[in-house]
Amino acid sequence: MPPFKDEHILIIAPGSQVTLAQLGLPESFTPARFRFPTRMFPAEKKGEYEPYRIRERRQEVQVSNGIDAPKDDVDMKDPESAPQEAVKPETTEKPEGSEQAGDAQKPDGQETNGEAQQHTTTEIFYEEDVTSDEGAVYPLQDGRIVDWPCFFALLTHVHNTLSPPFHTPIMLISEPVWSARDRETITQFVFEKFKTPAFCLMDSALAVCYGYGTSTATVVDVGKDKADVTAVTDFIVNEHGRGLSLESCGGDYMTDRLVELLGSKGFTREMCEQLKRSNITELLPPGTPLPGAAATARQGANPATSASTGSTDGNGSDDRAPRGPGEDTQTGNGEGDEDEGVLDVAAIVSGNTSEFLANRERERAEKASTKKGSGVDQSGKPIRLPNSKKEKASFQFEEYVKIAPEADVPNGPGRYMRQTREIEVGVERFLAATPKQKSGERLTGGLLEDIATQIHHTILAVPDATKRSELWDSLIIVGNGSKIKGFTQTLLGTITQKYILSPSATMFTSEIPSNFSTPLPTGGTNTPAPSGQAGLMNHPAGHGVNPLLVAATHANNPAPGTPSMDPMSLHRSTGHSQTPTSVKTLRPPEYFSEWKEQTNTNAPGAAGAGGPGAPSTGHGMEEAVFLGAQVASKVVFVLDQGLSKGFMSRVEYNENGPSAIHEYTM
Amino acid sequence: MNPSIPPSTAEYGGDEVSAIVLDSGYSTTRAGFAGEDTPKSLIPTYYGRYSLDGQEKLVFGDDVFVTPRPGLSVHNPMGRDGIVEDWDMAERVWEYAFTSRLTGPKSGNPLQNGLNDVLEGELPTDMEGVESEEKLLADSPLLMSEPGWNPTKAREKTIEIAMEKWGTPAFYLARNGVLSAFAAGKASALVVDIGASNISVTPVHDGMILKRGVQHSPLGGDYISSQIRALFKSNAPQPISITPHYLISSKTAVDAGQPPQVKLKTFPPDRVPDSSYRTLLEERTLSEFKECVVQVWPGPNKLSATGPNGVPNEEVAKSNPGRPFEFPDGYNQVFGIDRYRVVESLFDAKAAIPDPESLFPTPSPAQTVPELIKNALNGVDVDVRPHLLANVVVTGASSLLYGFTDRLNQELMQMFPGPRVRISAPGNTAERKFGSWIGGSILASLGTFHQMWISKKEFDEHGPNIVEKRCK
Repeated sequence: MPPFKDEHILIIAPGSQVTLAQLGLPESFTPARFRFPTRMFPAEKKGEYEPYRIRERRQEVQVSNGIDAPKDDVDMKDPESAPQEAVKPETTEKPEGSEQAGDAQKPDGQETNGEAQQHTTTEIFYEEDVTSDEGAVYPLQDGRIVDWPCFFALLTHVHNTLSPPFHTPIMLISEPVWSARDRETITQFVFEKFKTPAFCLMDSALAVCYGYGTSTATVVDVGKDKADVTAVTDFIVNEHGRGLSLESCGGDYMTDRLVELLGSKGFTREMCEQLKRSNITELLPPGTPLPGAAATARQGANPATSASTGSTDGNGSDDRAPRGPGEDTQTGNGEGDEDEGVLDVAAIVSGNTSEFLANRERERAEKASTKKGSGVDQSGKPIRLPNSKKEKASFQFEEYVKIAPEADVPNGPGRYMRQTREIEVGVERFLAATPKQKSGERLTGGLLEDIATQIHHTILAVPDATKRSELWDSLIIVGNGSKIKGFTQTLLGTITQKYILSPSATMFTSEIPSNFSTPLPTGGTNTPAPSGQAGLMNHPAGHGVNPLLVAATHANNPAPGTPSMDPMSLHRSTGHSQTPTSVKTLRPPEYFSEWKEQTNTNAPGAAGAGGPGAPSTGHGMEEAVFLGAQVASKVVFVLDQGLSKGFMSRVEYNENGPSAIHEYTM
Repeated sequence: MNPSIPPSTAEYGGDEVSAIVLDSGYSTTRAGFAGEDTPKSLIPTYYGRYSLDGQEKLVFGDDVFVTPRPGLSVHNPMGRDGIVEDWDMAERVWEYAFTSRLTGPKSGNPLQNGLNDVLEGELPTDMEGVESEEKLLADSPLLMSEPGWNPTKAREKTIEIAMEKWGTPAFYLARNGVLSAFAAGKASALVVDIGASNISVTPVHDGMILKRGVQHSPLGGDYISSQIRALFKSNAPQPISITPHYLISSKTAVDAGQPPQVKLKTFPPDRVPDSSYRTLLEERTLSEFKECVVQVWPGPNKLSATGPNGVPNEEVAKSNPGRPFEFPDGYNQVFGIDRYRVVESLFDAKAAIPDPESLFPTPSPAQTVPELIKNALNGVDVDVRPHLLANVVVTGASSLLYGFTDRLNQELMQMFPGPRVRISAPGNTAERKFGSWIGGSILASLGTFHQMWISKKEFDEHGPNIVEKRCK
């Protein structure tokens, strides 16, 4: 088989909301060039699907009476002329046909498009309604494939849109939750429909590891309504104990929680969704006091950790602009605000933290109350507090407001105008991950606690116990659900306060025997990784420990290997120390400049499903899975060329059938 | 190759389907495709039951460890002796084992799975009503494992479920001792299986178990857990109680031996999970304890005896550095010689830590591993004994206890000084944990095994009793 070329490789990464795709590997790997909404619309013929909603539009001949008219909606003729194009300058950059533009740029529930009902007789036109997602079928739910024909229609649509040449290897990123039979079915489909010469089905967790350039990591993928937790050791996915599609552990949880908190204040779900995506919503590490008068309602206050946060967490850069007029700005603090953000960290660290903070809160509350009485003259002052210290903040809510159709064109396209307005939110914006009141049938401690529990369970299930410490030290948190500010820190905080072992449990303390004078360092963080020296010092107790130390301490207790025994049996799974002694996240690679974190907007659809060809700005390393897919494609298809069975070739498929994919599944 | 020329259209025409291997133990159930090296699906045999709005609900798999449910209680369809007790639930657990990761909930109707074009007007109206619901395993042969002492009734029930409920086209039931021997690459072996609820010794000769020699006793991993609990109760400064992670909101680091400082979670009284759930979660902490702390006295001789150079073994054990362990609530302590004591009764019945509240009766000498091996060998022909002793296969997850094989080797050499004793225990954790599954995977993927399958037709002809004739 001739070698594959970079520009021919097709990568598809399906997700429950967005399917990322790209044809060809660029010189420097970029975020996915195409973002397809993972949904299709039923076509006229049953069992067939279209990428956009197809509406019948009938040219009216007679006078409309609107009584016995079939339910046919009349919608815009051509999105180019629609007014929302004006507010979306990015359409000009689209490589694809611009008739696909603007898909899903509208929030849900806004498509009550011109329901002008006409009594029609002749001439039926079909037109694509690119803005509507009414009646859409989402083939993936929580990662599971729930509608196969629709899923295949989506793959075909992606394939057709990118129209690769025949000699194109395909890299498909598989969701962890797909069963073996699912993978076989997909393999069969890809080979028989796309006639691809080579196919690689790569697990998304593994792809993330490729993206981060690491062989061992704990990958936490927070999606829309689920999270997957996977331990990868030496590029092998540990299937046992893996957290598959954890229910309600995704971004939707936080939206739901915000709705629960703010629903009584007139917030719609769409508002909460945008609030969640805005930069004023933040998760605060456990124990951080909430700003303002809500100091009593702490998030499980833990004095030990509260000192680590506060003004030091670098939020100063995103100070909000002065509050717009018309908002209720007087509830906040005015005069004394300038110095509020600068907490005396030394005082916190040295003194009694909780007391100090409590005093502060009290002072501040007093100040605020006196000010309320004094007057409203400070309203114009810019407030320079980090977001996490502000009791209230506002975000820009964008919505599409339908413009009433002009009277003389009753049949004209429904027109929308994008409106933004400021909405102010209180401390509820810090509580997005707190336990829901209606937790359904789960006794959950909230989103983060569930994920933390799953991480603990997953790492504990890794059979190679010597790897566990490394797994705790290499967490990778990806997925668009984790984009909310402070997610990673808060998750680490949750793990720390629940699972991290105290130093005394990992060090030999008062009961050190006399021949054991050197205390063990905590964990394997400063000591060399044990993997490199396996042959050097094979004492089972010596993992992560200075080999000389082991030699000294075990000199009187030689491993009683008997010559008649299988030499392999000297390897033990036990004799390691408990984990975790520390927990850390891995740093993303820095040499892919396009993947650097970019500021996200809270525009509807910005992080959701853009139309194909929508510019993929605002997507950083939370989509590392796609970066990894590119790295892996390069390795598997171009560099390795199948020598190490990285992909399944057509010849092999013809010989062995779809079930052989398991030998190649990565 | 020119990328614009379509490839030749050779198509895959075969219908190769690999068999499913299902290996059910007391603690976990393993399932996967034959020919693979580890089972793709590993689930606890335990399942959870709770009721919500008056409706009874069941949870299977790992999920129950992560988020408890209101009023959850935990059950196990297997009996302590490894024989199925609750057939309905065993069926559900097994179904979950292979549907969750392998086959999916139902093999889809080929007309609707999107792979086949259905021409207009060719809709198969005549198909309706024939077989409205595809059975779960309609296209996969199934190999299941069973303990060597499985009664005939249970075996017949198993094949009935497989054939009638799941619709498998071919079935075989193999002894897990035989499978473990195959996994070690041996047709004849003495298989010592240290499981969760049982330890068993199975003599296997030429791929057949020697039924008279099969021995088993309840001193498995769960028994060791009960010994650890007994140790915790009698712990020196204060008794240790295990608080599982799900009850803990946050903890603060404390020094060794100091009382824990912990913030507990509170559940509304009507939603508190059952005590059986707590026991299951405590078991997870205990297995971490077994992995990190517990150690088998490597020998020679018992822990209570004197070593070869005249020093009591206990003294030697005491001089070894202790191992620290932290409990979920933050309590931590260094365990010295006690970490040897909790497993010593597997070899020396007298060393058992007494605990009147334990579910397990005080072990009798005949239940210890050396005695089981001795009895197993006494039950078989004298001629095969040396061969069996030269092929002792150690398997089962509890055999991963640190120092277990060393001690077993010492005991065997002492007991049988004449013949050559050779233990083969795979170093790979997975091979030890899934020994019988791996053997099943090897067996079912052998070409020569094809004639062994009991086909659906044979089952229909002869009824469930065919399993007795064919699966010996």
